Amino acid sequence: MTEEEPIYAEPQSREHALHLGMWVFLGSETLLFAGLFGLYSAYRAWFPRAFAEGVAHNHAAIGTANTLVLIVSSFFVAWSIHALRRDRRRTCLLALTAAVLLGLTFLGLKTLEYSEHLAEGIAPGAYYSSSEVTAPGSQMFFTLYYVMTGLHAIHVIAGLTLLVWLISRVARRRTTAVRHVELELSGLYWHLVDVVWIFLWPLLYLTR
Amino acid sequence: MSDLEHEKIVSTGRTLVGAVVLLVVLTVASWGVAHLDLGAASTPVALGIAVIKASIVGLAFMEIRAASRPARVVAAITVAFIALLCTGTVTDVLLR
Repeated sequence: MTEEEPIYAEPQSREHALHLGMWVFLGSETLLFAGLFGLYSAYRAWFPRAFAEGVAHNHAAIGTANTLVLIVSSFFVAWSIHALRRDRRRTCLLALTAAVLLGLTFLGLKTLEYSEHLAEGIAPGAYYSSSEVTAPGSQMFFTLYYVMTGLHAIHVIAGLTLLVWLISRVARRRTTAVRHVELELSGLYWHLVDVVWIFLWPLLYLTR
Repeated sequence: MSDLEHEKIVSTGRTLVGAVVLLVVLTVASWGVAHLDLGAASTPVALGIAVIKASIVGLAFMEIRAASRPARVVAAITVAFIALLCTGTVTDVLLR
């Protein structure tokens, strides 16, 4: 087989294979977070008072604002695909830019929340020194909080990198109405980041 | 799946707008319910709303119905494994 010879008989077969690969990747990502949710549930059953106090101490307003921010950003990513399929390149670019700005807003609010926690001595693991939230198990709650939200934030940064790359590709007409599988796959990734946060929000900010 | 069938099940603009409005409403509802004194029911209710929201994202934004059959099988297996994990965790807590 020469280098020029296509692996797939038709471009559609390649797109189907890429989509399947992405779904398998998303499945593995989901199970990674599912393991952490399992750990959270087990420790919550063990330390119900500490987890209730931890949730009450978290900034529900910031968590809720971030939920709305990610939901709307997810909508803009879906809208960018919808627009490009109809060859509306400018709308697609505007929607992707809006999604990136919202993603940055999410990270900004998260940084604000982390800095406030750290100023109160609420740090992960052995560095925990809070005198406000002291129930046995509080350290475990906030360690899980940092691990889960930190891992999620890494995913947000990865998603934002993909969205910026797509803005560049759409602007240079490398991703087009005819060929835009990379936009669809990156969109799936961004939506998964949204779905994970949809479950993190009630567990870390609402349910006491 | 033919191209015609695929075109029929990808999300329309109206579907996307409807989905985001519904997601915002459910987020506000979740926030409101959290301030009610539901006792032990508060967590199942909040997670129930989260499941509905995740389903909306999956159906409207991720267009899971337009995915190929193998991709849908992967998604279904993932959900089944999570259900298994949840069942095991809940059973463990209830039987302590």
